[in-house]
Amino acid sequence: MVNDMDDTVNTSVGLAPGTADLDIDLDAMIAPTGDEADDANPVLIDVEDLNVYYGDFHAVKDVTLPVRQNEITALIGPSGCGKSTVLRCFNRMNDLIETARVEGKVEYHGIDLYSKKVDPVEVRRHIGMVFQKPNPFPKSIYDNISFGPKIAGYKDNMDDLVEETLHRAALWEEVKDKLNESAYALSGGQQQRLCIARAIATSPDVLLMDEPASALDPIATLRIEELMYELKEDYSIVIVTHNMQQAARVSDRTAFFSIELGEGGQRTGRLVEFDHTTTIFTNPHEQETEDYITGRFG
Amino acid sequence: MTTLHPDHAHEQQGEIEIRHHFDDELDEIRRGLVQMGSLVVENTLRAGEVAVENRLDLVDAVRAGDQSVNALYRILEQRTFEILALQQPVASDLRFLIAATRILYEAERSGDLAVNIANRVAAQNGFPQLAEIRNLLARLVTESTRIFTSAVEAIANLDPEIGINAEAADDVVDDITERFFGTVHAHSAEIGLESAVELSHVGRFLERIADHGVNISQNITYVMTGTFPDEDSDFAPE
Repeated sequence: MVNDMDDTVNTSVGLAPGTADLDIDLDAMIAPTGDEADDANPVLIDVEDLNVYYGDFHAVKDVTLPVRQNEITALIGPSGCGKSTVLRCFNRMNDLIETARVEGKVEYHGIDLYSKKVDPVEVRRHIGMVFQKPNPFPKSIYDNISFGPKIAGYKDNMDDLVEETLHRAALWEEVKDKLNESAYALSGGQQQRLCIARAIATSPDVLLMDEPASALDPIATLRIEELMYELKEDYSIVIVTHNMQQAARVSDRTAFFSIELGEGGQRTGRLVEFDHTTTIFTNPHEQETEDYITGRFG
Repeated sequence: MTTLHPDHAHEQQGEIEIRHHFDDELDEIRRGLVQMGSLVVENTLRAGEVAVENRLDLVDAVRAGDQSVNALYRILEQRTFEILALQQPVASDLRFLIAATRILYEAERSGDLAVNIANRVAAQNGFPQLAEIRNLLARLVTESTRIFTSAVEAIANLDPEIGINAEAADDVVDDITERFFGTVHAHSAEIGLESAVELSHVGRFLERIADHGVNISQNITYVMTGTFPDEDSDFAPE
């Protein structure tokens, strides 16, 4: 841009009183983009050329999507684009569907998740899941947290674990005096945070969230988002959301999926673009992404 | 209609454009910016006439013309602010609205500069009429308004190319400005120091108006492509 000033502004002198000690890290204010930032966090779940079929139906094709450690990865796209299907591949939830077939590479810490030697139950202990509707067990708040660790053979002080877990899920202050009451006595938002607490009680390192806030009111939604932001210090999170602004608010990277119409009208999900969330929401590379996120088509 | 989101491609696929209301709101801003820019061009030409032809009778018209520019500025800024708050725009919509706020500033400043020109001439009760100076001043008015007119065209057609070529076009103005300064300086004894200083100011104001025009065109390039055209140039924001 043409500068009105004849000289460039020298910021090292003449700062307003009180601003000299602010020590602002300008580099940190600019979101990392490009290759240099891509080394920032190691890949935790490496997904390459993933294809999912339900019987003859080709549900998702050729998805390459590295999920990075201590980041929130958001999957967005219209209904039927396969984003939930992809999410379910990350902890072998599709195994529960008889006709489902998964092809391609899904590696977690370099281990092939679909190897015959891998126990899906063990996978889900490391890669936990939170669902759209809060689904606490019909048990006390305390038991909801202790259930998983007990089964996994947790031997240390259970009270301490329950307290620490509820702290992490930002729920402790609200429930500490009613740990023995039914989880159903909690509000929807509290129940969802309890489910998140339950998921992290077994010390996973990945949390998969399928529309975790879509059944909640706006304030409860913001609490979940704030919680996600805190949890990414210790966990990696993959979230499926219909709410694009939510993806924009919480995630570090965003994957946009769309639907490809095949012969005979078969609708196959396809990854259109995967990039830093700031790039996706300020200057996406694909016109299809632009049209979807600006709400023009889709 | 010029629009950020041409819908023909999607109509072919049988899809339906779903944000007509929002598109209309954005287009209202675009048309408002065109109107405001056109007023600035008109007023700059008028101020130029005041300076070149000593048309002191037009000074009040220049001042009044800027009132319209300022009024549009306030309305459009408010509308932009409201749309940002209510529609949560992203991508090209967001770039357009952010660019709109910058363009508003550039155009408003340009309007003020046109008034400054008229005021300087009025304060001097007209400039000494020296052919060599007058001719260069007239050319400066023409070239500066040419660049600003291109900027208005860039907004009107959402044309990224004008911004890409704007620096080169601006070199012409810079060149004339330098020659103008030299000529005024060379004749300063003849026309008097005070007139020489005031004439130099007027030349600088016209050059600035062209600069604002360049910035406007480059903002449209940013809207359409996501980057400024001259990010390697000396003028790019660091």
